[in-house]
Amino acid sequence: MPPSSSHFQVNPSSGVPIYRQLMDQVRALVASGRWAEGDLLPSVRQVAQDLQVNQMTVSKAYSLLERDGVVERVRGLGMRVNQKSPKGTVKERQSELRPLLEQVATQAYQLALTPEQVLAALESLFKERGHE
Amino acid sequence: MSEPMLELRGVTKSFGHKSVLEDVELSLPAGSVLGLVGKNGSGKTTLLKCALGLQRPQQGDIRILGESAWELSAAGKERLGYVPQKIDLQPWMKIRQICAYTGAFYPRWNKPLVERRLRDWELNPEDRVGLLSVGQTQKLAFILALGHEPDLLVLDEPAASLDPVARRQFLETVLDMVGERTVLFSTHITSDLERVADRVAVLKDGKIVHSSELDELKDRVKRLHVQAATPLPNGAFRVPGMLQAKVTGNEAVVSVQDFTEDLPERIAQQWSASVSVQDLNLEDIFLELHHE
Repeated sequence: MPPSSSHFQVNPSSGVPIYRQLMDQVRALVASGRWAEGDLLPSVRQVAQDLQVNQMTVSKAYSLLERDGVVERVRGLGMRVNQKSPKGTVKERQSELRPLLEQVATQAYQLALTPEQVLAALESLFKERGHE
Repeated sequence: MSEPMLELRGVTKSFGHKSVLEDVELSLPAGSVLGLVGKNGSGKTTLLKCALGLQRPQQGDIRILGESAWELSAAGKERLGYVPQKIDLQPWMKIRQICAYTGAFYPRWNKPLVERRLRDWELNPEDRVGLLSVGQTQKLAFILALGHEPDLLVLDEPAASLDPVARRQFLETVLDMVGERTVLFSTHITSDLERVADRVAVLKDGKIVHSSELDELKDRVKRLHVQAATPLPNGAFRVPGMLQAKVTGNEAVVSVQDFTEDLPERIAQQWSASVSVQDLNLEDIFLELHHE
């Protein structure tokens, strides 16, 4: 299915800024494979028109996705889904985990568990699932 | 970066003893759409009128389209479109006549565009201005303000009297202008603003309490839910950049205006609590900023 602005769903009165809603959705569409490598994204103008949002908002989302390596700018064609798999560096991937880890840290503190004890629990969980 | 389309510095305006604007600073970059929000009586209309050189502030400097607002040249005025809140059009004219009359003042009047918009907005050129409804009058004033394709468009509560269909048309029209023209509009309808505006300024009691990109405002104003293992001190519970806090036993709901990624962790450590972050929409933010 070629990318189209009908794949987007934005809610302007949600607390999440529209550019971030768009970024999250492009990431999800790419990760799920609905948008394949090399597919061209709908143009900024088209998306702005179809979703009735400010063009600058769409353009901001696209630029940030480009910075993150999810899409790349092709001269004269627009944006396309990046051919390199957008895994990101270890640091970037770690930062994705951070919100969850924050909760773990808080709860561990409240339960008076040491970092070693938490890591041991995490390790046994990894073993259980077979990915070491 | 080119010169701002509009810039207010230290603008103070009062009527008699009543102070309306206090040391207002505002800058509007070319190509942006700025939504000016504030409660009734916060000074929005006065700010717009001062910006256009229709009222003179006691203090401060206002530059519009590179000129002093109070001494704006005819050439400058030709690049300006304005729809006031109280629309005052000649009631005895027909729509067709008022279009011709207004167009006569502008060398670059786009007659076909005006005629097309009248059709799109379902206004009959043969109708008399005085017999139009409030909403129809607002539409007509908007069309007239756009007839000369101004570089800067200033709208005072443009969508207040429009029905949902007309409001959508209005938003579409403004969105079509993005990038090419600069728009400043005041409103208290925050949902309109969230679609079209890329910048927002919040006017409270005559002062600009916030001015930034809309996204930045949403990134900075958050509500935090704090859950501690032991009761939190009511009154003594404070976090940096706090707007308001409500403490009930082990829980606190607190809104902040300078949210940073590390804030939840800092609060978590200080109060031995778990902290979750809630995003707020513009209406929530507006209410949080106006909490007394």
